[in-house]
Amino acid sequence: MTEQVSFPDAVQWAVPFFIAAILVEFVWIAIKGRGGRYETRDALTSLIMGAGNIASGFLLGFIAYAFFMWLWQITPLDLGTSVPVIFICFVLDDLRYYWVHRFGHRIRWVWASHVNHHSSQHYNLTTALRQTWTYTFTFMMVVRAPLILLGFHPAMVLFVGGLNLIYQFWIHTEAIRKMPRWFEAVMNTPSHHRVHHGRNARYLDCNYAGVFIIWDKLFGTFVPEQESDKVDYGLVHNIGTFNPLRVAFHEWVSIWRDATQTGLSLRQRLAYCFAPPGYSHDGSRNNSNQIKAKHLARHPEDHGTPGFEGFSASRQNGLADRS
Amino acid sequence: MPLEILLVLVVVGISGIGLMLHLTGRSRMRVLTHDLAWQDWLRHFPDDDVVDVTVSHDGHFALIRTKEVAGLLWSFGADTAARHLLDFDWLEHPEGFEILFHDFSIPRVIVRLDETERRHWRHLLDPV
Ligand SMILES: [Zn+2]
Ligand SMILES: [Zn+2]
Repeated sequence: MTEQVSFPDAVQWAVPFFIAAILVEFVWIAIKGRGGRYETRDALTSLIMGAGNIASGFLLGFIAYAFFMWLWQITPLDLGTSVPVIFICFVLDDLRYYWVHRFGHRIRWVWASHVNHHSSQHYNLTTALRQTWTYTFTFMMVVRAPLILLGFHPAMVLFVGGLNLIYQFWIHTEAIRKMPRWFEAVMNTPSHHRVHHGRNARYLDCNYAGVFIIWDKLFGTFVPEQESDKVDYGLVHNIGTFNPLRVAFHEWVSIWRDATQTGLSLRQRLAYCFAPPGYSHDGSRNNSNQIKAKHLARHPEDHGTPGFEGFSASRQNGLADRS
Repeated sequence: MPLEILLVLVVVGISGIGLMLHLTGRSRMRVLTHDLAWQDWLRHFPDDDVVDVTVSHDGHFALIRTKEVAGLLWSFGADTAARHLLDFDWLEHPEGFEILFHDFSIPRVIVRLDETERRHWRHLLDPV
């Protein structure tokens, strides 16, 4: 075992850089008159969510860390902390990020934590800091278990995870349209991530990447930004509050209310907790597939275009009267 | 990083950015017109068939009637929020109406209406 492995807490050290970059983006938008929008209460809510995220790390981080250290005790493997190992750890942890993020959009229990990152109708550098307070309760730390069992030290895994989050900061901007082609091909960029924040039917459930966009291309979830379909930021059902407590907990409260209604079967209760967001036992809500199908019923010309491959409006029952 | 320094950075950073945005006019609420409200409603609910739109005098609230159900659209910072009037309570308020959606992501909306509007909105919602 490597003794006394210690890595800096990268996210905390990045705070001054975050503040400076927000000022630069704001001034840039003010001078150029394009490249994004800022709104006082929206930005404040995002910043407070970011501060709360760091605070929740102080308060609850020990749970994940204890779990990781337990795994570290039982694994016979130790890859050390050489630079190539750190690099491989970074890449594998980015793959881990892709799947956690994908679960975050497809399992309501995890979505309850991640939803707040998407709850702003704006898209600027402050949006990047609109982070969850409740990640610990999703139990998604288990997705990191294979990394530690493979011999990557927990402190190193957390360090590269911090670098991953810092990378994702700068892509939350409309001020950069496109990066060079080779960069757009391999890396997650403002353009790719704008798409991920879109509530347009076309852009639902895609571009889950953290640092490398190649995971989306590999697993079939990549949708390029379309000139003809401007990204509309936010949630399918946008929230109507700037109160950070409500932003942090609203989906957990909804899960509770839905799953504890009277007259549901156990299967329906579990579906309210773990099915993709938009599930309802009485068909009164739409999940992303149904939203895409309804969009195609209204806009048949979009059949087969990016984001709608493999979808057909007719697959969705009860649409005939709408189209 | 020492906790005290982090704390000072966060507090000064957040309040500084908030102050800067407010002083440069970024706190302005979206002002709705008839057409903007119509368009915003369809942005929130693309499946709806809008029948008519009534915008309040200050341009911050709109009552939307669709083929199926009525809805409320209101200025939410520089944007709008919207909900169907399905599961809600409707209370009299000195400034107009207070609407309580049974929804944790929207505490309540106080719809500011003058006397004439108040009668009109009540009438629009009544025949249901
Ligand atoms: Zn996401
Ligand atoms: Zn994001």
